[in-house]
Amino acid sequence: MLDTEATLEIARLVAEFKPDDADLLPALHKVQHHYGYIPREAMAVVAKQLHVSEAHVYGAVTFYAELRTIPPPETRIDWCSGPACRLKGSERIRRALEATLEIGMEENTPGDKLGLHLAQCNGTCDYAPQLWVNGKVIGPLTTSEAIKLARDLKGTK
Amino acid sequence: MLKAYEALRAEADKVWQAVEKPARTLIRMPIATCSIPGGALETLETLRREVKERGLAVDVEQVGETGLCWLEPLVEVRKPDGSVILYQKITPDRVDKLLSETIDGVCRDYAFAVVAGPAVEGVPMLADYDYWQIQDRRLIARCGVIDPENIDHYIATDGYSGFANAREQSQEDVIKIVSESTLRGRSGSNFPTGTKWEFLRSKTREPKYLICNADEGDPGAFVNRILMECDPHSIIEGMLVAAHATGASHAYVYIRDEYPLAIERMQKAVDQARERGLLGDDVLGTGLKFDCEIWRGAGSYVCGEESGLLASVNDMRGMPQIRPPFPADSGVLKQPTNVNNIETYAATAMVMQKGLEYWNSVGTERNRGTKIFSLSGHIDRPGVIEVPFGFPFRKFYDMFAVGEWYERKSWKAIQSGAALAGILPAHLAVKLTLEPEVFREHGVLLGGGGIVFIDETACIVDLNVMFSWFLEDESCGRCTTCHGGTQRMTEIFRRIAKGGGRGDDYNKMGILGKALQWSNCVHGSASPTIMLKSAEYFREEIDEHIIEGRCRAQVCKDLIRYEVFGSSDKLPEAAEICPTEAVVQEGKGWKIIDERCIRCDACREVAPEAIHVVDAPQKPPEFIRIQDVGLDARGTMQSH
Repeated sequence: MLDTEATLEIARLVAEFKPDDADLLPALHKVQHHYGYIPREAMAVVAKQLHVSEAHVYGAVTFYAELRTIPPPETRIDWCSGPACRLKGSERIRRALEATLEIGMEENTPGDKLGLHLAQCNGTCDYAPQLWVNGKVIGPLTTSEAIKLARDLKGTK
Repeated sequence: MLKAYEALRAEADKVWQAVEKPARTLIRMPIATCSIPGGALETLETLRREVKERGLAVDVEQVGETGLCWLEPLVEVRKPDGSVILYQKITPDRVDKLLSETIDGVCRDYAFAVVAGPAVEGVPMLADYDYWQIQDRRLIARCGVIDPENIDHYIATDGYSGFANAREQSQEDVIKIVSESTLRGRSGSNFPTGTKWEFLRSKTREPKYLICNADEGDPGAFVNRILMECDPHSIIEGMLVAAHATGASHAYVYIRDEYPLAIERMQKAVDQARERGLLGDDVLGTGLKFDCEIWRGAGSYVCGEESGLLASVNDMRGMPQIRPPFPADSGVLKQPTNVNNIETYAATAMVMQKGLEYWNSVGTERNRGTKIFSLSGHIDRPGVIEVPFGFPFRKFYDMFAVGEWYERKSWKAIQSGAALAGILPAHLAVKLTLEPEVFREHGVLLGGGGIVFIDETACIVDLNVMFSWFLEDESCGRCTTCHGGTQRMTEIFRRIAKGGGRGDDYNKMGILGKALQWSNCVHGSASPTIMLKSAEYFREEIDEHIIEGRCRAQVCKDLIRYEVFGSSDKLPEAAEICPTEAVVQEGKGWKIIDERCIRCDACREVAPEAIHVVDAPQKPPEFIRIQDVGLDARGTMQSH
């Protein structure tokens, strides 16, 4: 839960944005850039600033895949769901990662240390199949390499 | 030519001279999204450091990418004598040798091609490579040649001269030129661009807006990305031409969130253009008022659809809208708007720079000019190329799938425009030429330019699970036909992939195909294409899954099993790597506990001589073939 001070801080963050001025996504991006995610309370503040309902903002936040409603993990592992990666074994890597880290997509390990995120193809297909660790492309990977990477990040061998 | 342009050009030419005719050795490194994962930034840093430490008389700069992604990190070495040589796969550990040997000569071990200047024995000319020869690099001519973060490089290579030309002609004349170029929407919609611009020009309500659709959500397509990262000003210039022709005064460049470098470079380009008076209240002193804003998406495929994008900009979730009204009547903030793809704008800039004759000199009667394509999948040369329309498709396969793997595995299919476009078997693909109409004749779309190659190690059912899941996941939810239909498609294929196929599954596909036509937008209406094309061309393989519960490619995890069949001293390591502790000792040997095994293949990677995959067909207890109503060519049920 965020306290009133935090709510004021969010209001300052989004003060520059105006209703009916193509400002919703820019406002949400600014909030996420600051907090790493969009806190529930921020949605109320943005809604008020842009003269729309909170449900309207909630609908938009949950619509977009890159907007988060839970805090980000320390280390984010993006798994590429694209076709070139699929053709080269990304599904096997996914199963291995989920089993190794014991979490599913869009979930964090205890203490938010690691997190898995399902990502869309960004066109670095000559490194397929790949993962992105904090935005850095790591590939091509065999399943065993992916498992070793996950174990390294987890801190277990 | 506009005086203001001539002044800019004179300055830019001076800067460009230093690249074309360097006073001393100039090393340039492509830095963009395809070279960075291979270590390009580290190589660049190492180059700079080494040059400094050794006190070499060498300059080090960055450039954009060429699209020869499989050779990255590339390094270009330019010498005062006019020699330009490309070196391939220069990871940081290779910098030392490269520098030492290129100071007074050529580093033959790493040399890839001579781009210009005197021939070097044992090093091919770039033009000798077949995959370079076939290209007609017009839209991507500057990619890999200029520094995308240096506006002078763009101006010196005829940049913004297209706008200067356009500004000296009437709106109607510019639109006439665009129409005569047969240019059509490059997002895959194929709507004639000249016609679209005329719609906006004829509207009188102001302000009028332009949208540049840089959402490029098609998985496997990265043709827009290379333009944004390596020739961003070509897009700005295209929008300037459009602004002049249509009377638009403001543009939003909607870039997908997943392209952070593209966002950064487009923003830099916009800032630089403003500084030079190419954007603002009085562009180049011609009285044109036009400016751009870079608008960042947040991860949604349907925001690549015109009305979904507009909804997203207009403070809503990116749900495609009900039309009419169309964007020309009500778009950004309910004002008249024109939406075009990046490549479309860049093409108009080029047409105005180099003239209609140049553009029309290649291509086919109904599709003049060239198109950028990105190739990926089961090929060993994934990258970006540009060829004229009408190019024979077969040549792509011959030139980009050449390694040992491809001699052993046979080519199965292609997907040309991502999930909505459909799938075509290889035996048909070889006969096609690259034109939207040719592809449409076979019931598939050419699309935005992304082409994925598929070989026999892929399973058609698995691909359908993947694509129908993608379409369902990205469905905006407005109409039950689409979100319900794609959900059912996914359920059916998941069930088939598990060996639960039923006799009436093809009938269900036909019903879904018919129902989905009634969706509000192309996302829903085109989503059954891949399912119906797969049923048409890959019936046998799908039948095997349904009737025998067997996956011939051994991909569907519920239809295969992993087994230890031999011995190997790597088995303990295999047990170690297994993430679910399924590889265990049994007496003197080893076995795999089937219930724990997730078929991730890690154990077999480690101990291939002792572990193999076997078919584990899930035959349904009583298979009853319900009368197959059948599908006609359009995937609708035949009447009975």
